[in-house]
Amino acid sequence: MAQPALRADESDLIRAAQKGDERAFEQLVRLYDQNVLRLALNLLRSPEDANDIYQETFLRVYKSLHTFRFDCSFHTWLYRIATNLCLDALRKRKVRREEDSMIQTSDGVINRMDTVEEERADGNPQRHLMSHQLRGRIQEVLASMTPRERTVFEMRHYQGLRLRAIGEMLGTSEEAAKNCLFRATQKMRAALGDFV
Amino acid sequence: MKCEEAEKFLPLFLYGELSFGEEERLEVHIDECATCRSALDRERALHKALNAGELLPSEELLGECRRELRRRVAHLEPARANFWSRLKEGFTIRIHPFAPAAQPLGAVALVALGFFAARVVPAEFGGRFGMASLADPVTSRVRYVEPVGSGKIQIVIDETRQRVLSGSPEDQKIQGLLFAAAKDPSDPGLRVESMDILKSRPDSSEVRSALLYALQHDSNAGVRLKALDGLKNFGADPETRKVLTQVLLADKNPGVRTQVIDLLIQSKGDSMVGVLQELMRKEDNGYIRMRCQKALHELNASVDTF
Repeated sequence: MAQPALRADESDLIRAAQKGDERAFEQLVRLYDQNVLRLALNLLRSPEDANDIYQETFLRVYKSLHTFRFDCSFHTWLYRIATNLCLDALRKRKVRREEDSMIQTSDGVINRMDTVEEERADGNPQRHLMSHQLRGRIQEVLASMTPRERTVFEMRHYQGLRLRAIGEMLGTSEEAAKNCLFRATQKMRAALGDFV
Repeated sequence: MKCEEAEKFLPLFLYGELSFGEEERLEVHIDECATCRSALDRERALHKALNAGELLPSEELLGECRRELRRRVAHLEPARANFWSRLKEGFTIRIHPFAPAAQPLGAVALVALGFFAARVVPAEFGGRFGMASLADPVTSRVRYVEPVGSGKIQIVIDETRQRVLSGSPEDQKIQGLLFAAAKDPSDPGLRVESMDILKSRPDSSEVRSALLYALQHDSNAGVRLKALDGLKNFGADPETRKVLTQVLLADKNPGVRTQVIDLLIQSKGDSMVGVLQELMRKEDNGYIRMRCQKALHELNASVDTF
């Protein structure tokens, strides 16, 4: 999220980008693109799909930036575009199987997500195994959630956004976002009980 | 508050999403109820465990996304506001206290402008009307604030203004900036992009030193992988092999270790056997162990040390 001290600059950047300043647009992208990519990667769990969402989000921003009238924060407007694209992708994916993250190469089987993620567990093999199993279980629960539950959970737990802002971004009330979060955490609790 | 309601509030409590009153009632209940206290402890443990599920995009992926976006934007015509929107923009008065009074004036001016513009302004001029030029974007930060007497304060602001430099990567000045960018601790994306340019010129000893430095010291695996890519034709160079051996035994990222093995076994030698055997003792990644075993087999060496 942008620092308060940068807010004035952000408005300047938006106005400059609205007038066709490419450098201003690029700076604006760099203010938020890491969070957009993280959101898409966590929701879709595929680097290729996350890249597609990234491209589509910022191309839409580029094409319709002139319609942005500062009625809401740029952050909210941007996230509204990104989350709607993610929700659409998740809904489409519901009809096909979740992609397997393991791929076969000439040298053997490797995990695609290894190219995404830094190794977090230390050298302790037991802890590594636990962490791997836990991540696998979390992924299963996320896949079982509805697209809305998954989106709200991701935005609250991993992105640290307030429920009020999430409701605004998803075009729903704070109360509805709260209920989604509650259902999502219930599912997590039911599935991860033996890990905690 | 009953336990059933308290249970519902626990996750929201940990997210700080309860109202003041709800939080107060929950805290009172938890003080009195041992069952809900342990339920809160379990919820806290779950909350913490969930952090393991987060994926962080690699800097390489971020760099790839940025490059692709830049390419795609370059092929698009900039979307501009239409003539009427810009005209409206030009007449919008942004000083709020006066806005209600000023808007009717603006409307009258618009009508008058329309009347005269139709007669005197050439059609092709319309697209540029009302566009004021903007100064280059500046990032500013308040450095310090201090009273200077007579009720006034002095504020010192640091401003960073952009400058665009262009030139060939062989240019000393450009190369100096690239080396600095490749070590910029604040922006891993910038380091990846700089490394991407530097890696195509590994014949220069300065560039190779920068690649070896990044491979050993950069905290980001994406940057280290780029550096490795630049060193792929130097698998036989003794200095490079020395660094590669150290990285193979110390790097935490399995992707980096895999690529280091690939590079090292390009030129096989008995000196590799000890390193690979040592790696077999400490490596817990199945895929790397398999690669290592294969390499030892090709070197007619045993997997274990005796």
